[in-house]
Amino acid sequence: MRALERHRKLSAIWASETGFRGWFSTVNHNDLGRMFLFTAFLFFIIGGLLAMLIRVQLATPHSAFAGPEIYNQIFTMHGTVMMFLFAIPTFEGLAIYLLPKLLGTRDLAFPRLTAYGFWCYAFGGTMLIVAMVFGIAPDGGWFMYPPLSSAIHSPGINADFWLIGITFVEISAIAAAVEITVSVLKYRAPGMSLEKMPIFAWYALVTALMILTGFPPLILGSVLLELERAFGLPFFQADLGGDSLLWQHLFWLFGHPEVYIIFLPAAGVISTVLPVMCRTTLLGYGWIVSAALALAFLSFGLWVHHMFTTGIPHLGLAFFSAASTLVAVPTGVQIFAWIGTMWKGRPELHLPMLHILGFFVTFVIGGLTGVMVAVVPFDWQAHDTAFITAHLHYVLFGGFVFPIFAGIYYWLPHFTGRRQFFRLGELAFALVFSGFHITFLAMHWAGLLGQRRRISAYAPEDGWTTINLISSVGSFILAIGIAMILIDVLLHVFTARRSRRNPWNASTLEWAMITPAPAYTFASLPQVSSRDPLAREPELATTLARGEGFLGTPRDGLRETLAVDSASGRPEMHVLYPANTRLPIIMSAVTGLFFLSLLLKFYWIVPLALAGVIVLAWKWVRSLGLRDDPAMQPVGHDLNLPSSATVERAPGWWGSVFLLTANGTFFAALLFGFAFLWTVAPGWPPPVWFTPSVAELALGVAGAVIAPLAMRRAIRRNRAGDAPLFSVLIALSGSAVLGIACAALMLRAPAPTEHAYGSTLLVLGGYGLFHAIIAALMGGFLARQIRCGYTSAKRRAAFPIVALWVKYTSITGAIILLAAHLSGMLS
Amino acid sequence: MTEIFRILIAPLVWFVSFSAIYGLHGVLCETGPGAFEGWPVQRVVLISPVLLAIALQVVNLWMLYQPRFTAPAGLLRFVSRAGGWTGLVATVWTLFPVVALSACT
Repeated sequence: MRALERHRKLSAIWASETGFRGWFSTVNHNDLGRMFLFTAFLFFIIGGLLAMLIRVQLATPHSAFAGPEIYNQIFTMHGTVMMFLFAIPTFEGLAIYLLPKLLGTRDLAFPRLTAYGFWCYAFGGTMLIVAMVFGIAPDGGWFMYPPLSSAIHSPGINADFWLIGITFVEISAIAAAVEITVSVLKYRAPGMSLEKMPIFAWYALVTALMILTGFPPLILGSVLLELERAFGLPFFQADLGGDSLLWQHLFWLFGHPEVYIIFLPAAGVISTVLPVMCRTTLLGYGWIVSAALALAFLSFGLWVHHMFTTGIPHLGLAFFSAASTLVAVPTGVQIFAWIGTMWKGRPELHLPMLHILGFFVTFVIGGLTGVMVAVVPFDWQAHDTAFITAHLHYVLFGGFVFPIFAGIYYWLPHFTGRRQFFRLGELAFALVFSGFHITFLAMHWAGLLGQRRRISAYAPEDGWTTINLISSVGSFILAIGIAMILIDVLLHVFTARRSRRNPWNASTLEWAMITPAPAYTFASLPQVSSRDPLAREPELATTLARGEGFLGTPRDGLRETLAVDSASGRPEMHVLYPANTRLPIIMSAVTGLFFLSLLLKFYWIVPLALAGVIVLAWKWVRSLGLRDDPAMQPVGHDLNLPSSATVERAPGWWGSVFLLTANGTFFAALLFGFAFLWTVAPGWPPPVWFTPSVAELALGVAGAVIAPLAMRRAIRRNRAGDAPLFSVLIALSGSAVLGIACAALMLRAPAPTEHAYGSTLLVLGGYGLFHAIIAALMGGFLARQIRCGYTSAKRRAAFPIVALWVKYTSITGAIILLAAHLSGMLS
Repeated sequence: MTEIFRILIAPLVWFVSFSAIYGLHGVLCETGPGAFEGWPVQRVVLISPVLLAIALQVVNLWMLYQPRFTAPAGLLRFVSRAGGWTGLVATVWTLFPVVALSACT
């Protein structure tokens, strides 16, 4: 088959629907990556405009530009938009677009999940912006501290928009993180071992794992605060056994890793782009991978450094001060590795390189002021002043925006197939760089002179007038620079000349294809034997286009790829992707209906929306079943592989493992909250303890023990060719009994509105019941698949997935019952 | 997965021990003061898990250098040992205040 014929056939198989209808049904990572990035930059413009309004307000003393109520909404939405709707989604978009290309595969692990995540993000973000347009946007600061954000001090719907909208958007982050983790570990080109993986993939993997463990505490905090606001469950109310400090712990358990979740992908961009700009290879690849991993872990031990002024004991301060200083070490290792890379290469000052130099200057200053605020006595002085605002902008703008601009200019020829024509970008960089430093250096100064954060006005006699005016002028220079970058990108997209393939002479796989990238990404999959495949085989793109790699012959209209062993990159299974579908957008719309009905207090819609999600989820997984045993699949190079439906650890199993990792973090944070309130919160012990019941406890634990054992038996019987249905039904019954015990706990919990103890038991019981229902639904689905002939001894992939969920439900359910009943017994 | 586990184990042990000792510190300070051989009880109780955490990190690092347990030569071996050193240094550095400072003031 000729290359052109192959291109046409593959394009017909992989293409999205034409026209705007394709946006709603596409599951292709090329489209969705671009859609993510486009939407994220729309939000970036909105967030930037809000920043301009802040600077207009503060440019003069006693400013009457906006009243305090509106100003509160402006700065809250600026932080919220930039953190949740720009930074994280930009990483997601970049990773979704780039990873399959860098890894040498055709798409990500779960294309429909990518689409679902995008629509949750788009709908959730729109919800917040619509609230702002109607003047009912959140106004409690981007960290929503109670008691300010509680129903007593913030009546109205503003704070609810934040709590519910952000939780909706975070579904997207969790979905993308699962997607990225499984893709990096399993969906790589044959031969691409972990050692040969491009450095961006390491960073994406570490960041995705951080999202899975960093976001759940905030989701939990948002759920608890919304429950307090909507139903009066007093988790954060000190007079009823709650504690507002619990929110701060949950928020910063997310909030500090969030800084590194934002920085690490940008560091991945630098580690990819910098060696190309310096015409060399990355110095200290192993050191950089180790530093990224160390940074990820250490970042989870810093959260209390945002709480140094809350009155915690000195030992606690010392723990977190020590951890905060230590985190500078792996950051420094990366910085020195990049400097070493420049030293050993021949740096060329192309536009991406200018932004990387901007990153160096800005981020190092931000890092050094970070070490300053890690020192407790200094933090006590600078806390909640403009110095902190300036520090965080140096870290986030320096550590994310400059590298992302570098990445945009680097990969723009890949997105468009064109090369830079106008020279607007250089001038734009100069304006952005100088504008940024004028704005935020001045802000450090204002902070040291005592200007508080989030103030809407100040007096002339405070002595901050000139500094604020300088800062505001700088911000307008910065805004003009960013506007010029956007114009430059648009000019590039619409008017620039066609570019040759691989204009930077890079060595990574994303350049081994025609640009803009075709829908199928690779005409055939490469065999990778080096970390720099294009440097080793400059003609690789042509070889792959000729179909000389794996899966070079399009078959039966199928979207095919390979999955590999996670460490060695040895081909392991043959995977079929789903076709275009509107299911993800419909499902995210119904998920949105669930959140919206909670927000608007239309509680009668909630169960309907939940039922809708269940029906759609059922439809989603039903389409994965096979009626007949698939044969071994020829994938080229004389290699035959089993279908993913016939292996023990199918992609769905891996996805479940990482989704349950996030879920487990949520549960651990819930238990932490229970322990925190019990031991630290004022107003304990509660007036009434839970009345323990040995019968309920025994019944629930028995269900928790029986369910996974029965699933294990079902797996064994199915593998041996015996009927597994009865065992699956037993497992389903075990989960149901566990669910009943959790429901009983909820019903008998002491009045949940009168003390945080009862509220916590109610939430714990609800968590157990919710998971028991999921396990039962999965068991019911598996039973149906067995009855309808969708499983066999060979087609066994669904069994371990259901077993995993049943096991998780049993472990968490048993812990919940023990925590509730033992607390009653100990009292 | 074994390779990933080798890389992650030391930082994970650090994170668990760091969080657990911080939590234990909170619980102990809530239970009120006491003394043992002239030392506050809280401090005595807190130092034991710190020593245990350091011992775990040392054993893990030792294992990462043994041919029987170490990763195959190359990047994974380097990264897993770097992770081992990170875990040990982080444990000693971040938990050192338990030895140097009073517990509940």
